[in-house]
Amino acid sequence: MSEQTQRVFPKGPEKTYGLMELVKGTSPMVDKGPEDTVDSWPHLLTMEVLAILGTTVLLLFWSLLNAPLREFANPDVTENPAKAAWYFMNLQEMLLHMDPALAGIIIPGLMIIVLMVIPYFDISKEDVGIWFASKKGRAIAIWSAIYTSIWLIGLILFDEYIRVRSLVSEPAVLPGWIIPIAVMAGLSALLYVLIRRWRPTRREVLIGFFTAFVVTYFLLIISGLFFRGLGMHLTLPWDLPPGALSF
Amino acid sequence: MASKTSITRAITQNRVWQSVFRQGYPNTEENRAKVIMNTLFFHIHPVKVKTHSLKISYTWGMGVISAFLFAVLVATGAWLMFFYAPSVERAYNDIQALETAVTFGMLLRNMHRWAAHLMVLTVFLHMCRVFFTGGHKHPREFNWVIGVVLWVLTILLSYTGYLLPWDQLAYWAITVGTNIVGVTPLIGEQLRLLFLGAKEVGPEALVRFYALHIWIFPGLMIILIGVHFWRIRKDGGLSSPIESAEVQQGETK
Repeated sequence: MSEQTQRVFPKGPEKTYGLMELVKGTSPMVDKGPEDTVDSWPHLLTMEVLAILGTTVLLLFWSLLNAPLREFANPDVTENPAKAAWYFMNLQEMLLHMDPALAGIIIPGLMIIVLMVIPYFDISKEDVGIWFASKKGRAIAIWSAIYTSIWLIGLILFDEYIRVRSLVSEPAVLPGWIIPIAVMAGLSALLYVLIRRWRPTRREVLIGFFTAFVVTYFLLIISGLFFRGLGMHLTLPWDLPPGALSF
Repeated sequence: MASKTSITRAITQNRVWQSVFRQGYPNTEENRAKVIMNTLFFHIHPVKVKTHSLKISYTWGMGVISAFLFAVLVATGAWLMFFYAPSVERAYNDIQALETAVTFGMLLRNMHRWAAHLMVLTVFLHMCRVFFTGGHKHPREFNWVIGVVLWVLTILLSYTGYLLPWDQLAYWAITVGTNIVGVTPLIGEQLRLLFLGAKEVGPEALVRFYALHIWIFPGLMIILIGVHFWRIRKDGGLSSPIESAEVQQGETK
């Protein structure tokens, strides 16, 4: 035991035990004294109880609003618009712009797989525990959100008022598959090129793309749910026909 | 104060109380450790947590809130089952009766419905939080994968419940949804048939969605939540900047 260690951890004469050795290594707590942790009782449990109480209060007030119940199911009376549950409205919005198999199955399926494999590519541990990894990461996230929003809104408006299918309708594979895939691939590539200006780490590039995913996810839900009226045409939220909100 | 103390003592200083609560009130380090380790409902927690993981601005409590909403959904859902039969003849009337004739029926149905929607949202926000703070990185890769599956399961649970009232909203939402399933390349029609049990949305679909909703998906969910929580503990609790500091230290060594 070195001189210095002796000074920091002196052996108490009344103790029957003592510090034998200091080991260098990595574990979650090495070099971190107990001051970085607190007892779960009461600190963690208090926070949990508060979260639970807050949620309960919110839910009780929300439940003053009645859950919807429409007429008895009738296969002969088609709802217009016929909408899926709100969390599927992003898929239903995509259905309007491309082949159903691409919008409803292939893209969501690929998204789930891509989400699952992220941690196997995002391997640097340098920015764990920090929101958006760095100032640069935050800037990239904000920028990616703006980029994605502008393009998405532009594309939705374009396909509603100019319509890809009225420009190119034959063969069906063109508006159904090739054009949508080309647009998505092209915009992703452009996003990558533009993010590169920051000289980002791989983590920061992934932050840019994940932000684009989250923004797309929510914007398509908002568009499909609040802006699609009769025949799934664009409508302002206050002009929606009754029953167009599927909660 | 003396009388209060003696009342407290009368309640706690006997063999019955002490057979239930094996340690004293958790106001000492030792008892605080014991209460976490010895109590079934607390033992999923570590005895000590990093101060960083308690910051509201770090987690926004999204994981805890999602788990709590799931518990609310199991409780209200079990209660709703008392008043509901998954048949085309009865389902719609049962929901109407629930709203008008059953004590607190409307409230409990509302809570079940809104908690389900809220959970779809909080689980997704939880996933965003974990990604943006780097909580998915080594050694937590696989827990992230389980988390993604839990997110998909949450959506499937909400969706299968959507059909049960058997009203126009339910019927057409399920028709739209299963039509999407039907266009899956190669196996679309078979998949659709598997979900619906028939060519169209009908009584068979109602029974299948009911079974998936009240038993199969929740069962899977409970198992995976268990694994999810277990792995949080095994991977050293919530992610925190201590880990990145450690990496940098390791590099300078």
